Amino acid sequence: MEGGGSYHRMPKVRIREMKDDYLKFELRETDASMANALRRVMLAEVPTIAIDLVEIEINSSVLNDEFIAHRLGLIPLVSDRAMEMRFSRDCDACDGDGQCQFCSVEFHLWARCESDQTLDVTSADLKSNDPLVQPVDVARAIDAAAAGGTLSSAVDSSDNRGIIIVKLRRGQELRLRAIARKGIGKDHAKWSPGATVTFMYEPDIHINEEMMESLTLDEKRQWIDSSPTKVFDIDPNTQQVVIVDPEAYTYDEEVIKKAEAMGKSGLVEIYAKEDSFIFTVESTGAVKAYQMLVNAIDVLRQKLDAVRYTEDADFHLLDEHMGGAAL
Amino acid sequence: MPSEGPYVYAAPIYVDVEYSIGSQSHKSIEKKERVLIGRMPIMLRSRLCTLNGKDEAELAKLGECPLDPGGYFVVKGAEKVILIQEQLSKNRIIIDSDSKGRIMASVTSSTAETKTKTVIFMEKEKIYLQLNQLKKKVPIVVIMKAMGMESDQEIVQMIGRDPRYSSLFIPSLQECAMMKIFTQRQALEYLGEMVSMGKTSSDPSVKVEKACELLLNVFLANVPVKQGNFRPKCIYVAVMLRRMVDAVLNADTFDDKDYVGNKRLELSGQLISLLFEDLFKNMNNDILLAFDKSFDKRSRSNPPNFIKYIFPDTITKGLEKPISTGNWDLKRFKMHRKGVSQVLSRLSFIAALGYMTKVSPQFEKTRKVSGPRALQPSQWGMLCPCDTPEGEGCGLTKNLALMTHVTTDDEEGPLIYLCYTLGVEDLELLSAEELHSPNSYLVIFNGLILGKHRRPQYFSNAVRRLRRSGKIGEFVSVFVNEKQRCVYLASDGGRVCRPLVIADKGVSRIKDHHMKELQDGVRSFNDFLREGLLEYLDVNEENNALIALYEGEATEKTTHIEIEPFTILGVCAGLIPFPHHNQSPRNTYQCAMGKQAMGNIAYNQLCRMDTLLNLLVYPQRPLLTTKTIELIGFDKLGAGQNATVAVMSYSGYDIEDAIVMNKSSLDRGFGRCIVMKKYSVKQETYQNNTSDRIVRPQMEIVKGELRLDPKMQILDADGIASPGEIIRPHNIYVNRQSPKCTRGESSKLLDSDYRPSPATFHGIEGETTVIDRVALCTDIDNKLCIKFLVRHTRRPEVGDKFSSRHGQKGVCGTIVQQEDFPFSERGICPDLIMNPHGYPSRMTIGKMIELLGGKAGVSCGRFHYGSAFGEPSGHADRVEAISDTLVKHGFSYSGKDFIYSGITGCPLQAYIFMGPIYYQKLKHMVIDKMHARARGPKVMLTRQPTEGRSRDGGLRLGEMERDCLIAYGASMLLFERLMVSSDPYEAKVCKKCGLLGYYNHKLKTPYCTMCKNRDNISSMKLPYACKLLFQEMQSMNIVPRLQLTED
Repeated sequence: MEGGGSYHRMPKVRIREMKDDYLKFELRETDASMANALRRVMLAEVPTIAIDLVEIEINSSVLNDEFIAHRLGLIPLVSDRAMEMRFSRDCDACDGDGQCQFCSVEFHLWARCESDQTLDVTSADLKSNDPLVQPVDVARAIDAAAAGGTLSSAVDSSDNRGIIIVKLRRGQELRLRAIARKGIGKDHAKWSPGATVTFMYEPDIHINEEMMESLTLDEKRQWIDSSPTKVFDIDPNTQQVVIVDPEAYTYDEEVIKKAEAMGKSGLVEIYAKEDSFIFTVESTGAVKAYQMLVNAIDVLRQKLDAVRYTEDADFHLLDEHMGGAAL
Repeated sequence: MPSEGPYVYAAPIYVDVEYSIGSQSHKSIEKKERVLIGRMPIMLRSRLCTLNGKDEAELAKLGECPLDPGGYFVVKGAEKVILIQEQLSKNRIIIDSDSKGRIMASVTSSTAETKTKTVIFMEKEKIYLQLNQLKKKVPIVVIMKAMGMESDQEIVQMIGRDPRYSSLFIPSLQECAMMKIFTQRQALEYLGEMVSMGKTSSDPSVKVEKACELLLNVFLANVPVKQGNFRPKCIYVAVMLRRMVDAVLNADTFDDKDYVGNKRLELSGQLISLLFEDLFKNMNNDILLAFDKSFDKRSRSNPPNFIKYIFPDTITKGLEKPISTGNWDLKRFKMHRKGVSQVLSRLSFIAALGYMTKVSPQFEKTRKVSGPRALQPSQWGMLCPCDTPEGEGCGLTKNLALMTHVTTDDEEGPLIYLCYTLGVEDLELLSAEELHSPNSYLVIFNGLILGKHRRPQYFSNAVRRLRRSGKIGEFVSVFVNEKQRCVYLASDGGRVCRPLVIADKGVSRIKDHHMKELQDGVRSFNDFLREGLLEYLDVNEENNALIALYEGEATEKTTHIEIEPFTILGVCAGLIPFPHHNQSPRNTYQCAMGKQAMGNIAYNQLCRMDTLLNLLVYPQRPLLTTKTIELIGFDKLGAGQNATVAVMSYSGYDIEDAIVMNKSSLDRGFGRCIVMKKYSVKQETYQNNTSDRIVRPQMEIVKGELRLDPKMQILDADGIASPGEIIRPHNIYVNRQSPKCTRGESSKLLDSDYRPSPATFHGIEGETTVIDRVALCTDIDNKLCIKFLVRHTRRPEVGDKFSSRHGQKGVCGTIVQQEDFPFSERGICPDLIMNPHGYPSRMTIGKMIELLGGKAGVSCGRFHYGSAFGEPSGHADRVEAISDTLVKHGFSYSGKDFIYSGITGCPLQAYIFMGPIYYQKLKHMVIDKMHARARGPKVMLTRQPTEGRSRDGGLRLGEMERDCLIAYGASMLLFERLMVSSDPYEAKVCKKCGLLGYYNHKLKTPYCTMCKNRDNISSMKLPYACKLLFQEMQSMNIVPRLQLTED
């Protein structure tokens, strides 16, 4: 920023693609710190609900108690409630016991194999005491059932058997009580709502058309093929090199190296636009992808508020430093 | 499944006994069938083992793992491996020079009766014989004469009339003539004089007899003497002499002791058969003695019956004990070996497998010689070039290669007969002159000279043809030695050999249709062998073969083609992907480290009761596999996980091979392991028939309330901790009580006669351990033994050791949150970060290719291969092909990615080499090793802090550290470390006599025992160890006096 210019800006978000568990959007007119803060918060600080305490009554399966508890913890639960829920560590209702309705959800599981066939104990066997908090795959099956078709068919369909917890053989039994609590990804990855949260700088590609024209069709094709991803192509009509998908470019500089090797340095110039980012967010299902973004912004704002309203903090210097524009 | 106890996996040995009763006149033959003479330990998965030939389902039903290699014994509840013993071959002439530079020819003869060593050496141009039974060296010509070769001419003819040979032999002849020994009688008398065994007698006939016996049974004992005919022995000596003289003329003809063809590997079968033979003979002797004793007391009503003197215990115990202790002591065979058997290490599947292929050396490990440690060219394909330990055993302890076969003894008689029918001329029919006639070769069978053959090539080809057609054993080897003009046949046990594809004029006998049949399962390896498509060659016969590595490289002269080049490596080295791209020592390091990797041990691992068991929670099969991995089943019992590795520097906590780990990966189960430890408690019984008892936990009254001692919370009503309970340090897991009185008479014991002797758990503080299983059993002394398997699940922490498969070990340097980890725009975030400085000096290119191949593997969904030298045969993917796959899936051909910093969100300056590498978690974990103390226990004697982690000991400030402090001048620190924090002691010293006094508590004053008064005593501080030294010196009549000054 020249001349101590303003840090104040109004980022713009344009959503490109949105599904329950997938979101692709552009973030423009801001810088890497903002984009990264958003990414980090989505990964580590958007709260979700996950199983945190397991009391095992009977376990005669092949997996030991800790093993099962660990597996249970990693099952994503629908966490739309998570933002309103309390952290059990600062829940007044239960004195930090973490077992009250405000800060926890109770699950029960009881499975016993009576047949000669191996019984798969899955997330569908987890019985919740809160209909809003379910394993995500179960919730999806219920939604599918509500939309049409029966519940049982959706649960039993081969591609949606739920997340396997353990397999039981004849006579083995598993019986347990599990408490799910609110938490954040910083404490344990099981509370992270994001499977993938990543962004890239939008590339800015300039082809030197004049120089490009000096290439033969064969050379053009060679040059295009040098890129591991399909960024360029040849227009079948004009036989000109066109940019098909600039975002496919992975900043590998292969095309630039190729151009140099062909003796045509400066054939193409590629820069990263420093103020626009393309985000890809995939959710575990615990929080819908767009909700994750909204929650992340919320959390980020709360964090900033916490800084802003801290009484003894001296913001005067900071204000000065930032040209008096911020805050 | 073994678990410490009296259990031995053994089978009864039954014999049919036939004996005659009565005097000479009326003899009656009695028979008794199926008499038990002992029990023989059975090797698991051997032909006699019940598990032999069982398929996977049957094994599963028996609770056994189908991938278990077998090959070990179960003795006294422990799994024992009898290691393969390496030895110099028996009954062979070895030409060598000793430390004084004398040329010598030695033969270690081993027969059913005895084992002797014959050495013929040359000293000052004269040739002598040396035997352990001789007082001093004896000229060899005397021996020849003693064996009936009285004519000097004949002797010379036998060695060779060539003037070069005869001139070298003349001094020996002269010496004999000087000694005035011309006849056999004279020679025998002289020899008898020299014999050190038996009684000395001046009687010439006794001497002759002794000499004859020596020549018959000790001298070259492996050469049979039929009806007093010593000629074969004479010829044998002549051949030895000729080879010695050859060695004098041409130094090339020395035998190499390190040459694998001159070595024999002794397997457990041979070792046990030696043991059994010895024990059986002992048993027969014992029976004879016992029977003789009872024969004198016989009566009509009590006829002697020797069957009842057969005690099976002699053999049963005699076999069990050596296997369980590893001490093979056989007087008859002069064998005193220690450490022959070892406990099978079940740390990992690979460790157990590696034990089976281990060859223990013939020399003691302390010898500082380089020759036997060096890699021998003849080890090719037989012994693994990579798998050897570091340090003292380096190069001595070896491991078998993947396809090595060790032969067992084959019957000699029919083969000897066969040789004669194939045109071998018997020695008896030959004159001395003909022995070395230029147009014929000697035929030597198992070290025995059979005769000679005029057409050696024809003869050897005939034997080979018979072997390929299956008429004689597949492990019989023929080897034409052009230099020595000999044909060697061998059928003895212990030779190492390997299978090769036979080629006729460079064309492989295995055609495509054979391979198709093999793939369809119609044909097996043994069919190939039986039909003469493959054959086993031992190291010697390999010298007659021209082996092509690949079929395409074969020429007209090629006789064999290698099956697969990766089989030159053993099982441990076989796990390494692309080992041929690595620096050699790295592969060696990995061979040692693969055995420490945690993973699955066997399918039945959770039913076992091992003292220590390390399991990985989510073991994976490597993305980059090798053929060996598939052959041994490592893909089913993995010991590691495919981690996405970024090769970059991060945070500074990655220096010196440390790795940075992603916390989220750890949360999700990367590197998580289960450690199971066994604790056992015995219910002791005492002399007076009293015994410990285990009682239900007692309630105690605290503040008027009845409650359970918190230490006993995990106990069941039977006084034993129950499975599934969380056990913490100081918890009681068996509520045991012992009788107060364990000697003398025992009466009815009351509750008050017992004192508590509970078993208290001493685990690591802060570790949550759980009782996994409890087993009750009786042990060897019939006492109740309670075994607890305590389980602890550990997630990786800073300081835990990890390693890739390329000898690159490192500890976890720090654990970083996922959001701080670098990420790619695809959202890939590494599991761990490795510092690039690990590469330049180690030159592990294989690891780089593994990363590339693994990355291509995950993107295209096909497991990639990296077998050793596998590129030409398609068992390893080429880097070019891997790069093409990568590019096809939108990655850079180089495996490098464009990566953003997780901390700032800015792109990193460099492209980062990132992809999956198979990482092993090694058994060394900080939690087992970390140790610190502020205060703690002290040793009674010196009052200084204890030593060692197990005793919660102090950390020693040693001599060198002390030197540093002195040099620095930190005297107060020194004082504090060495005295205040160690063993300060307030001593009373008499100022007058300078000796130590003491504080008299009755008089309440210090007192000097020397001066017998209480004046002049002052008090000073000194280390207790110092005071102890003074007193110890006083006890030796040395008076240390302290001179005190006031200040």
